[in-house]
Amino acid sequence: MPGIYVYSDNMKQAAALIGLAAQSGKEVCCITLDSNQANELKQYGPDRIIILNSHSPLPENYAGIIAELIKKEQGELFLAASTVRGRELAAKTAGYLDCGMVSDAESLVFEDERIISSRLMYGGSVVQKAVISQLAVVTVPADNLEAVKKENVQVSIVSLEVQADPRVRLIETLAGKKDKIDLAAAEKVVCVGMGLDKQEDMKMVEELAQVLGAEIACTRGIAEERQWLPVESYIGISGAKIKPSLYISMGVSGQVQHVVGIRDSKIITAVDTNEKAPIIRAADYSIIGDMYEIIPLLIEELKNA
Amino acid sequence: MSRIIACYKWVADEADLKINPDMSVDLSKAKGKISDYDKNAIEAAVQMAKITGDEAVTLTYGSKKAKLSLKDALSRGPAEGFWVNSEKAEQADGAASSKALAAAINKIGDYQLIICAEGASDTFARQVGPSVAARLGIPCVSSAIKLEFCENEVKVSRKLENGIEIVAAQLPAVVCILPEINRPPIPGLKAVLDAGKKPTREYKIEELGLVESDLSARTETIEFKAYVMNRKNIVLDGETAADQVKALVGSLKKEGII
Ligand SMILES: Cc1cc2nc3c(=O)[nH]c(=O)nc-3n(C[C@H](O)[C@H](O)[C@H](O)COP(=O)(O)OP(=O)(O)OC[C@H]3O[C@@H](n4cnc5c(N)ncnc54)[C@H](O)[C@@H]3O)c2cc1C
Repeated sequence: MPGIYVYSDNMKQAAALIGLAAQSGKEVCCITLDSNQANELKQYGPDRIIILNSHSPLPENYAGIIAELIKKEQGELFLAASTVRGRELAAKTAGYLDCGMVSDAESLVFEDERIISSRLMYGGSVVQKAVISQLAVVTVPADNLEAVKKENVQVSIVSLEVQADPRVRLIETLAGKKDKIDLAAAEKVVCVGMGLDKQEDMKMVEELAQVLGAEIACTRGIAEERQWLPVESYIGISGAKIKPSLYISMGVSGQVQHVVGIRDSKIITAVDTNEKAPIIRAADYSIIGDMYEIIPLLIEELKNA
Repeated sequence: MSRIIACYKWVADEADLKINPDMSVDLSKAKGKISDYDKNAIEAAVQMAKITGDEAVTLTYGSKKAKLSLKDALSRGPAEGFWVNSEKAEQADGAASSKALAAAINKIGDYQLIICAEGASDTFARQVGPSVAARLGIPCVSSAIKLEFCENEVKVSRKLENGIEIVAAQLPAVVCILPEINRPPIPGLKAVLDAGKKPTREYKIEELGLVESDLSARTETIEFKAYVMNRKNIVLDGETAADQVKALVGSLKKEGII
């Protein structure tokens, strides 16, 4: 039964992957570790659902099982969503299957006997298109993919008792912060970069964001190195991708790894002291100037607008 | 004493990437560098080895260009540098790289931990660490921000989308680290000088029981083009900062955004 196998630890993304895989016209088999999830996923109309039952709560520990399954059934493609777990699971599965893998495919076009994938390289400056024509593993960023329910479909559900890899065991889960920021849905975003001197100066940025009705985001260094904002706040290839109507940066140089996350913004505006900063070339409107002078003026001007 | 192996990739520096008028990409003038996050992997190996009394070593799969990397890698503290030298590395994908690295790790032997960075700065495909683990048949933990040895396990804090998870993996294992794990210092002059005296070992793929066809990419690249972003690129001028700000707000109003 050759076909496409899909998995995500994120239910919404798993549902979206079923739809993506169905575009191929091939049989779609959805893998899950939980029978409740199987009932939920059924509504999205995969041809089959396989529930893998074992003791381990860590999906990554099922890579060997999934590889075996795909080998046995002569599957053609394993499609996983690019979550932390999904990426590891997928790369392990590719290793077990000794097959090719495309990570974070931005697009997948299914043709007769091949798939054309495209992905970004060099932090986002280059687009690489590749042809997949044999067994492969692909991960896709599925958080923006839509899942569509199907009506009156026949789904075969099979439950398998398996032995997950016991060698990695969960000790503890520490929940993240509750105040989850949804940058992907933000209409306006003010983004601060390492040009901000002191943490206290966030006040001024907060005020600007408030006047604009914007969410606050940052570059990687502000979140990871200085820890002035939560890690969910940083934008870029390893952070959030946003699509607001307005993105306005303050002291962000605009290296490609950051800019890749703002490409879908309607209008990009930048304030930077350095006229040669790459962000200026990536922006629609920019001011070459000191944010410490510009932000207070901008707040005033917006209040009067 | 056993080994802690840090894997790294010698990549073209993306800052030297040139884009031709037809949007093709010219990497011929690009200088090489140890991929950014791999420096964190090397530092993590050195730190762990200090704690356990093991020996930190480095391993790379690269073409002859990667020879330059050995001294750089060793100046960061490891005791020995291993290099799988093949021109096939120029066209390697994750399958080929993980195959070459796993074969070399088997050859090096006597290891208890393999440390890879989450992803390389050129491809950022985040495949190699987990695939190496699968090929070696050992456990893997990715997205690691903290490592600790306890008995015959490595305890790892991992960063997930919605929080931190702590897991323990049986040794030997592969861990893929995020750059937050440490801050690699810039090697001092003495470290750079000492690096030249440290042993290095070069492997040809045949010594690892591989043939060239094992190391071919499994997907065929049909296009490799610069990403184009068309923006208005208007720099707002004005006598004073206040004028510039007025011009900006005016433009945003015209766009219907505020
Ligand atoms: C594999 C990889 C992945 C990465 N992923 C990401 C990612 O997802 N997200 C991300 O953001 N980065 C990422 N990076 C890092 C990225 O390459 C840049 O280093 C980072 O984005 C730079 O942050 P920055 O613009 O805040 O700082 P800098 O580059 O230091 O820029 C600061 C800017 O502020 C300006 N400035 C200084 N003072 C003022 C002032 N008073 N007023 C106005 N302007 C001022 C300066 O002129 C400069 O342009 C990644 C890097 C690698 C290698």
